[in-house]
Amino acid sequence: MASSAGEWSAEQIDDYEALISTTDVELLKKAWRNEKASPEILPFEEALVKRAKEQIQLMEETVDDFEESGHDPLIVSLYQMDLDRVQFLLRSYLRVRLQKIEKFMFYIWKTDTYRNRLSIEEEKFTERCIRDMGKHLEETVLSKMPDNYQSVLKQSVISEEDDMVASRKPCFNASLFLKDHVQYIWGYDLQNMRGKFPEPQLDTFVVAKCERTTRPLYLDGSRQSAGFDSRQVAIRTLFTV
Amino acid sequence: MHGRKAYELVKEFASGEKGHLKIFNNELFERVIEECNEHHNALQSLIRKMQEEGLEVQTAKNADHYGALVHHLSLTRNKRCLMAYMYNRAEIIRDLAWKVGLLHELPSEIQEKFGDSEEQYFKDHSKSLKLYMSQLSLDVNVDMVPPKDPYIKVRVLEDLGSGIILSDKSANFARHSMHFLKRTDAEQYIARGLMEELTG
Repeated sequence: MASSAGEWSAEQIDDYEALISTTDVELLKKAWRNEKASPEILPFEEALVKRAKEQIQLMEETVDDFEESGHDPLIVSLYQMDLDRVQFLLRSYLRVRLQKIEKFMFYIWKTDTYRNRLSIEEEKFTERCIRDMGKHLEETVLSKMPDNYQSVLKQSVISEEDDMVASRKPCFNASLFLKDHVQYIWGYDLQNMRGKFPEPQLDTFVVAKCERTTRPLYLDGSRQSAGFDSRQVAIRTLFTV
Repeated sequence: MHGRKAYELVKEFASGEKGHLKIFNNELFERVIEECNEHHNALQSLIRKMQEEGLEVQTAKNADHYGALVHHLSLTRNKRCLMAYMYNRAEIIRDLAWKVGLLHELPSEIQEKFGDSEEQYFKDHSKSLKLYMSQLSLDVNVDMVPPKDPYIKVRVLEDLGSGIILSDKSANFARHSMHFLKRTDAEQYIARGLMEELTG
């Protein structure tokens, strides 16, 4: 592949991107993006959050030291900005998860897949949410209902499954945003086609509507979702762009 | 007509501005509950009647069976409407907890819209969030928008007193005074309408 002097070759770009993508900030950004975009709760990034907290702590101490030692205020405020942004990412990540828990508390608690994705503190939080909501609904509605109609999750004793509004689940038929590492589209391996065709922008957002319900797909191969043996098949059969 | 009151209740909720609570319609709520109990009584008497006639309740498809079915379905519909009303209001209350700040006194206009147990639910939920945050030792309800500047200029709208301790200094928040505060400190006050951000 010809690459003019001063431009990066494809391999170099890949290496750089691979390097960048392993920094904690990038990982946190990715986790945050995935969490924001998916309607269901994703596995908790325990190690990442722990590392992020430690690094934030370090940064805070560094900034404090700089301020006290009368370091250049511009540099200090740049560090402070960086610190703020990382803090925002972390907080927003946790916040989005909490809000998903609040919205689907009964469903998450009942379904083992989701329940196992919670951190310990989140699990306790879910328990408390359920307790508070249950108490609230009991006092206002359920205790005044006739017997046999007093369940939170079932309409009445003869319901075969949990059919009340509180036990609804997240809606999966929604448009998806896919970013980065879009390597396979329509069965063509884009990697091998570099230089032969005009290069597609690999870090653009693709809006795709699902033809049927889908699970989160981790296109960079970092995690496989159950039921798909090749990314190629997955994208071709599931999405119409 | 069966279910009409419940329908009115839900419609009243749906017709409000999104995210805003209307005052808790106690009267309508009680009436729907009364209706539920009436349905239940009617249902039971029909079932008893069928049993006295020696008919199998589940399978005998006579007028009483269908009457009982209608009562049962109306009852479940009323229950669904009531639960939906409470549940959706609770959702709005949770959002308030996030926006306005936990365990803080809500402005009285909002407070008077709460039903009986809603105030308690608000407090319970705030406590629950606070507990989570203290377990992580991380405040999750600041930094609600991505930060553009670390410090922002604010003007104080209400007299908040002097000697308020912020993360990096203490300040005297007299009315109309202007300050240059850290974003995370100022957010809580701005959300409660006690300060405003000065842009430009």
